[in-house]
Amino acid sequence: MSMDMGGMDVVLRHVTKTFGSVVAVNDLTLEIPRGLFLSLLGPSGCGKTTTLRLIAGFEQPSGGDVFIQGRRVNLVPVYRRDFSMVFQNFALFPHMTVANNVAFGLRMRRVPPRERDTRVQEALALVHLAGFEDRYPKQLSGGQQQRVALARAIVVRPTVLLLDEPLGSLDKKLREEMQVELRQLQRAIGITAVFVTHDQEEALTLSDRVAIMNGGRIEQMGTPRELYERPATDFVANFLGVSNIFEGRVVARQEDGAARIAIGPVQLSIGWEPGLEPGAPVRVAVRPEKIRLGLPDEPGGLPASLRHVVYLGATTHFYLEGPDGASLVVHVQNVSPDTGLWAPGDWVSCHLEPRSVFVLRKR
Amino acid sequence: MRHTSWTLRIVTLLSLVIILGPIAIVILVSFSPSDFFAFPPRGLSLRWYYEFFHIASMRGAYLLSLEIALIASVLATALGTLAALFLARRRGAVVGLLNALFLSPLVFPTIIIGVALLLFYRRIGMPILPGLVLAHVLIGTPYCIRSVLASLQAFDVSLEEAGQSLGASPLRTLFLITLPCIRPGLLSGWLFAFIVSFGELNTALFLTGPGVTTLPIEIFAYLQFQGSQLVIAAASTLQVCLVILLVVSIERLVGLGSIVRSR
Amino acid sequence: MEWLTRFLRMRWAAVLVLPPLLFFLAFFVGPLIYLFFVSVHDVSQVEMYGTRLTVENYVRIAGDPFYLFIIRRTLTAGLAVSGLSLLIGYPVALSMVRMSPSRRSLLFILLLFPLMVSNVIRAYGWIAILGRRGVINNVLSDAGLIQAPLLLMYSLETVVVGLLTILLPYMIICLVNALLTVDRNLEEAAQALGAGPARTFFYVTLPLSTPGIASGLLMVFLLTLSAYVTVQLLGGAQSKMLVSLVYDSVMTFVWPRAAALAFVLLAISLAVTTLMLKGIRPQRVQGKG
Repeated sequence: MSMDMGGMDVVLRHVTKTFGSVVAVNDLTLEIPRGLFLSLLGPSGCGKTTTLRLIAGFEQPSGGDVFIQGRRVNLVPVYRRDFSMVFQNFALFPHMTVANNVAFGLRMRRVPPRERDTRVQEALALVHLAGFEDRYPKQLSGGQQQRVALARAIVVRPTVLLLDEPLGSLDKKLREEMQVELRQLQRAIGITAVFVTHDQEEALTLSDRVAIMNGGRIEQMGTPRELYERPATDFVANFLGVSNIFEGRVVARQEDGAARIAIGPVQLSIGWEPGLEPGAPVRVAVRPEKIRLGLPDEPGGLPASLRHVVYLGATTHFYLEGPDGASLVVHVQNVSPDTGLWAPGDWVSCHLEPRSVFVLRKR
Repeated sequence: MRHTSWTLRIVTLLSLVIILGPIAIVILVSFSPSDFFAFPPRGLSLRWYYEFFHIASMRGAYLLSLEIALIASVLATALGTLAALFLARRRGAVVGLLNALFLSPLVFPTIIIGVALLLFYRRIGMPILPGLVLAHVLIGTPYCIRSVLASLQAFDVSLEEAGQSLGASPLRTLFLITLPCIRPGLLSGWLFAFIVSFGELNTALFLTGPGVTTLPIEIFAYLQFQGSQLVIAAASTLQVCLVILLVVSIERLVGLGSIVRSR
Repeated sequence: MEWLTRFLRMRWAAVLVLPPLLFFLAFFVGPLIYLFFVSVHDVSQVEMYGTRLTVENYVRIAGDPFYLFIIRRTLTAGLAVSGLSLLIGYPVALSMVRMSPSRRSLLFILLLFPLMVSNVIRAYGWIAILGRRGVINNVLSDAGLIQAPLLLMYSLETVVVGLLTILLPYMIICLVNALLTVDRNLEEAAQALGAGPARTFFYVTLPLSTPGIASGLLMVFLLTLSAYVTVQLLGGAQSKMLVSLVYDSVMTFVWPRAAALAFVLLAISLAVTTLMLKGIRPQRVQGKG
């Protein structure tokens, strides 16, 4: 059964998955267009790996439907779905050579031997492992093993490439190199990729879109910039980077459409959103690098006392106590040698840039 | 590495002596040139080995033991592998029960198994040789299950998932990926089943009969009726040699680690 | 939807589990049930068993002082062998745990190897040592220390010694496996808190090795119960045990009594197992008790 899904390679519609009494994935709807690199990002237990496994077929949905290229695959077993997968621990067959590992998928698809060999060579060349055909996995380093796993997955030219925290067991430097290679490869082949990770930096680096998941649901999905600059919920605001949260009140609706809000003694005009009626309480957040610290008597800022200073070379992190005891974090770039030469105990004023203030909704 | 006191070392050495001593004595005795045992030995001779090969009942018993051990161990490995594949990744009360059932012949007094099978076989008219083989399959299967289970538990599930993600059906995954990777468990399980069958006494006591005798039973009969005892030493040494041979060849194929671990 | 995949998976599971399961039911559970069935019938001269359902076989065993004496002797021997194997085996296990892994593997092989040699051969070894013309008598009479050969065979002590040396490797292996799981850090923590080697052993190592002690004792005891050939060869007619009585009644074709004796043996095994597990409570160490 095939439906026109409008160029969507993978579609999940109202998919739910329960394990006994635990709801791992909760009424999830997700559409992934062709050629997109999507990351599923979230803390452990948020359901991202389960979602990936639902697409693969290792788990069956308790409710809802999964479509791959327009075809409903709920009842289709794993080995008949058109995808391939890169595993966190590589999952290379230890009793087969690199060439046989990479050729395995082609063997299953009954590709004739000559064509098989050519494609294996091409795939290995793509991952810069030409000449490694006769080695065994245990003779390879972690990075090399991961590249063989990648070659094995792409040589079959699948519709969708699923990656389950594939770079998790590599050290930092190797991980960064592999991130770049992976992205280049995906763009070159034009394959749709779904990438699961708990590392936000990784997600932001690699992806066209990121879906942040929590408790089996997608909290927010968007480009990296959208998610960072305009998080929709508390969770996203705090998961991606740090946020300073302020409780305020809407003062008035301005003539130009903006909303005037008050946070403590300070008033700002921010973009209006539904729900910002005069008198209503509002929660807003500001990223630490978007607060400017000034002298205590400078007008227009929130007073705060400095608790702790951490010097990090390129930046300095200030930990402050703001009005009514709230904890604030401010990151300042050390543009000059005497930037931020304050000491704990000093009083400063915190100035918020109105365009960087975003309203939070608890979902 | 910690300091081991001399007491511990001495106790260990003494234990090894009392455990291995009797076997060493038997081997020594088998080379005795005279009719009775003399210690210290007064020379070396192979006469008892010649004698062993000349006695038809002894020769026959040795060959029959080999035959039974071979068939029983292969069957035990097959059944044991199936059971282990089932038990490996499932949980639940039923699975726990099956686990206990399949492993119980290990702790169950084998003499009772012998009596029970004897009565049962009489009731259904089971011929002697197949009956004995099946008894040894029963006794050997738990060793195979334990061994294959250990291998399966060390085997990474994601390898099977990788196979499936590349298009291999469950059956092909089993034969192309799982079985090759658990080969050590299969081989050491088979080895244990073979050796256990070859030396098995308690069921063979009841289930052997006219014309169907295993080597241990033949040795026992000789010892009981005070037959020419020293030929027993030769027979025994030949069994010991067989054990050594098997252990060494498996070690070559599969490595010491798996034999030791599967215990 | 899910029931379909579950059904397909069950088909696979059945293919895997049915052959061994059916085999075990037919050749293990079935015969045992039949054995019990026979044990609760009366004895018959012409058939395998009579037609009357009765517990007289069991009653007769329980009431006969001879049987009770044999049972007592069997239990004594079992306790002696398991106790001694623990006492001797524990120090060996301790020294094995402290060895380098390669040496330990070598010792494992040295311990596994005798277990693969048939018990009849190992018993024969003791006959060759303790017999009238065995090693000990030969050496002693050649040295002129004795006139007539010592009678070292055919006593309960001989049986215990023989069984001890045959079953000791089982105990050692159980203990080593248990001791290997004891985290070195725990012992080091105890020492950092001021416990010397002896107290570290008694308060930390020993308690943590109870699962190994329990399984070792159990295994040795159960194997002692079933060791017919060793008992017969080393003990002779004077040192019969319960297992010898089972064999004798089978050989005289008194099937119901043989069956009842077999089940008495089984009952003793179960009782000892339960007592052992209750008494030593290895689950506590495993974190379940």
